[in-house]
Amino acid sequence: MSVQLETISEETVRELSEGRDEPEWLLQQRLDALEALDELPFPDVIQTPGRKWTDLADLDYESMVDPFSQTEEKEWEADDGIDVLPFHEAVEREESLVRDAFGSVVDPETNYLTALSTALFSTGTVIYVPEGVDAEDVTIRTTMNGRSLFNYTLVVTEKSSSVTILERQETGEDLDGSRYYSGLTEIVGGENAYVQYGSLQDLDQETYNYQLKEAEVDTYGQVDFIDVNIGSRLTKSSVETHLNGDSSETKMVGAFYGHDDQHFDIDARVWHNAEHTTADLVTRGVIDDEARSVYEGVQNVGREAWDTNSYQRENTLMLSDESEADASPKLIINNHDTEASHSATVGQVDQQDLFYMESRGVNERLAKNMLVEGFYVPVLEEIEVEELREDLTERVRERLRARA
Amino acid sequence: MSSDQDHLKETDTEARFEFKKEEASAFKSEKGLTEETIRVISEDKDEPEWMLERRLRALRQFQEMPMPTDWPGQPDLSEVDIDEIVPYIRPDIDVRGGVDDWEDLPDDIKDTFDKLGIPEAEKNALSGVGAQYESEIVYQNMQEQWEEKGVIFMDMDRAVQEHPEIVKEHFMTKCVPPSDNKFAALHGAIWSGGSFVYVPEDTTVNMPVQAYFRMNSEGMGQFEHTLIIAEENSEVHYIEGCSAPKYSSFNLHSGGVEVFVKEGAHVQYSTVQNWSKNTYNLNTKRAIAEKDATMEWVSGSMGSKATMLYPSTILKGPGATDNHITIAFAGEGQDIDTGAKVYHNAPNTKSTIESKSIAKDGGRTNYRGLVHIADGAENSSTSVECDALMFDNESTSDTMPYMEIEESKVDVAHEATVGKIGDEDVFYLQSRGLDDDDAKQMIVAGFIEPITEELPIEYAVELNRLIELEMEGSLG
Repeated sequence: MSVQLETISEETVRELSEGRDEPEWLLQQRLDALEALDELPFPDVIQTPGRKWTDLADLDYESMVDPFSQTEEKEWEADDGIDVLPFHEAVEREESLVRDAFGSVVDPETNYLTALSTALFSTGTVIYVPEGVDAEDVTIRTTMNGRSLFNYTLVVTEKSSSVTILERQETGEDLDGSRYYSGLTEIVGGENAYVQYGSLQDLDQETYNYQLKEAEVDTYGQVDFIDVNIGSRLTKSSVETHLNGDSSETKMVGAFYGHDDQHFDIDARVWHNAEHTTADLVTRGVIDDEARSVYEGVQNVGREAWDTNSYQRENTLMLSDESEADASPKLIINNHDTEASHSATVGQVDQQDLFYMESRGVNERLAKNMLVEGFYVPVLEEIEVEELREDLTERVRERLRARA
Repeated sequence: MSSDQDHLKETDTEARFEFKKEEASAFKSEKGLTEETIRVISEDKDEPEWMLERRLRALRQFQEMPMPTDWPGQPDLSEVDIDEIVPYIRPDIDVRGGVDDWEDLPDDIKDTFDKLGIPEAEKNALSGVGAQYESEIVYQNMQEQWEEKGVIFMDMDRAVQEHPEIVKEHFMTKCVPPSDNKFAALHGAIWSGGSFVYVPEDTTVNMPVQAYFRMNSEGMGQFEHTLIIAEENSEVHYIEGCSAPKYSSFNLHSGGVEVFVKEGAHVQYSTVQNWSKNTYNLNTKRAIAEKDATMEWVSGSMGSKATMLYPSTILKGPGATDNHITIAFAGEGQDIDTGAKVYHNAPNTKSTIESKSIAKDGGRTNYRGLVHIADGAENSSTSVECDALMFDNESTSDTMPYMEIEESKVDVAHEATVGKIGDEDVFYLQSRGLDDDDAKQMIVAGFIEPITEELPIEYAVELNRLIELEMEGSLG
C-alpha cells in the first residue's frame, strides 16, 4: 500500500530534528512515525465497485517531497493574553504543554500521509488559550515556497476559554512542476471552551494538498470547523470531531469551488461518544469545467451516546457538463435515542430562479453569478471571521468573472 | 378481500414457516463444489453443451474471485464455507419441471405448500404459480387465458430445453454476468430451478404470477435463477416468496434475477423473503430498462442471518424509469445489508428509492445504495429517501449511500433519517385505549405502509403478520 521514499531515511529525520534543537521525545515521535510508514495504508478513499473515487497511491511523492527545502513565510496575528507561538519556540518555552498535547488528538499513525507529516514537519504553530480567556481572532498565514511543506498546528484550550482562528495556506513564487503541502491540525477543546477554527486553502493549482484536522471536545465544549478549499490540483482534506464530553457540540462547515481539472476529496466525520451531544454538518461546493468533487460525511453515534442530535446537509452545484460530483453521506447509528438525518443534493443552478431574475431584467450571466454567490450564503452565515467571509466571497467572484 | 385476510390470519404464520419435513430426495449432490459436481448437475438436468460450458466458466471465475470483505461495515461472511454446502438436491418426484395439477404433488410436498398458503393464493389472485422445493420446481401452472396469448411461465430448467435460443441470448450474458461478483459466479456455476417468464409484445398480464421457493434440507444451498423478459409495451407483475425452516448449520441462498424490460414495457418484481435465521442470503438481482420502460422493485427482507442484496436497474434507454421500495427488518442476530443500485445511462431517466428499515433486539440494518448518473444522461432525476426506526439500544442502523454524478443537468436528492419509536406517538395511542404492544405495532404498520400498499393484499397481510410475530418476540 505505502510507497518507499528514497529521499527519506532515519538520517533525514535526525538531521531535521537536530537542526531545530528538538528534545529527544519529539525526535522519537518522528522516528516512530517514520518506522510505521512501511506498514501504513493511504487515507481511506471511497470505493464503489470498480471505482476508487480518489487515487492517492498514484501520486509521485518521490518527486515532490524534499525534506530539506521546506521554506515558507509565516505571519501570526493574535490578541494579547494568549500564546501563539511558532512550533519550535513553543517546544522550548512550553515544553510540557506541547509534549502532553502533541499527537494526543491526531494519531500520527492514522495513515501513511499523517505519519509522513509527523516525521517531516518543519514548521507550525502552537496556540494556547488559558482558562477563562476569550481570545478574539488569531490569524496564521503560511506562504509555501519550496517543493514540499509539512505544517503542524496545535491548539489547546483550557476550561471556559474561547478563540477564533483563521489559518490560510498560499503558495509563493512559481516553481516548475508539482509540489506537495501537508498539514495536520489538532485541537484540544477544553471543558466549556469554544473554538472556531477556519482554514482557507488557496494553494496554486500545481500543488497536491493533504490535510487532516481533528478535534476532541470536552464537556459543554464546542469546536467548530470551517474548511474552505479553493486552490490546489488535488486536495484530500479530512475534518474530524470527537464529541467526548457530555453536551459537547460541533459545527462542521465546508465550502469548495473547483474549476479547471481540480480534484477535491473532502470528508467530514463526527463521533458522538457521550450524552446529549450535537453535530451540524453543512457543506456547499461548486464545481466547474472538468473539476471533480468527492464528499464523504460520516455521523457516527456510539452505543453510549444517549440523546444525540446529528444533522448533515451537503449540496453541490454543477456548472459544467464535464464536471463530476460524487457524494456519500453516511449514518452509523448505535444508539436509538438519536435524532439523526442527512440530506444531499446535486444539481444545476435552479432554472426557475434564473428565469425569475431574468424576468426582472437581470441578464443571464449576472443572474447566474448572483445565484452561485447566493448558494454559499448558508456557509457564509456560519463563519465568524470577517476576513474569511470576505476572502471566500472574493475568490468565488474572481472565478465567476474568469468564466468564459 | 376479507376472506383472504381471514384465511391468512387463521393460519399461524410462524407454524407456516418453521415446520420441517423429513428430507426425501431422489438425487443429492456431494457437499462442496468441484468441476465434477457441476458436470453431474448438468448431466442430471440433461442440459445442452453450451449451458455446461457456461457453468464451468462461472466456476473458474468463482474460484478466482476473492470473498467480498472490503466494504465498510459489511456483514461477516466468514462462516460461509462453500465446501460445507450441498449445492443440489432433486426432490423425489417423477415429472421433471414439475406437475401442473396440484393434486399430483406427492403428499409431503403438497402439505408443505398447503401450509404456506400457496394454492389458496393461486386460486384467488394469481395468473400462475411455480413452486420450487429444494433445487427443483415441483409445481408449475399458468392460467390458460395467458398461455393462449403467448405468455410463458415455466421453470428455468425446462426453459433451457424448450426455449434455448431466448435463454442462450439472455442467460447471464448482458444483465448479470458471472464476473459481476463472487456469488453471481457461484450462482452461474450451480444454479438450479427458478422461473422463466416471457411476455410477448403489447400483452398485459393483469394478475401477478408467483413463484415460491422452499428450502427444506439442512446445510443446502439454493440457487434459483429467475429470467424475466417483457417485450415492447407489455406488462407483468412477478412475485417471489421464499422460506426455509431453521437448522443448526447454515444455509446459503444465492439466487440470480435478470429482468429485461423492453421499450415501453412495465415490470414489477415483488418479493418478501423470510429465510430462516441461519441462512446467508447473497443475491444478485438486476434489470435493464430500455426506452420509456418502467422497472419496479418491491422487496421486504425479513429473515436470514445475513443478507447482502442490492437490486439494481440499468436505465439504458431514454425516458426509462425505476422505482425501488424496500423494507428491512432485523431482529436478534440478524444483519440485513440491503439497498438499491441505479445506473442512469440515458437522458430523461428517472429513479426513486424509498427505503424503510426497522432494527430491534440487537439486529443491524444498513441501507447501502448507489446512484450513478453517467455523462450524457441529461435531465435525469433521482430521489432517495431512507428512514430507519430503532427499537432499542442494542440495535444498529446504518445508512451508506453512494452518489456518482457525471452529468450536470440533473436533479439529485438524497435524504435519510434515523429515529427511535416516538414516545409521544405511543403515549397518544395509549391514551386512546391501546396497550403498549398494540400501539407499537400500529406505529410500525404505519411506518411500513408505503411498502405494503404496493403489494397484493395477501403479501401485505403476510408482511404485517410477519412483523407482528417478530415484534411479539420481545414485546410480549
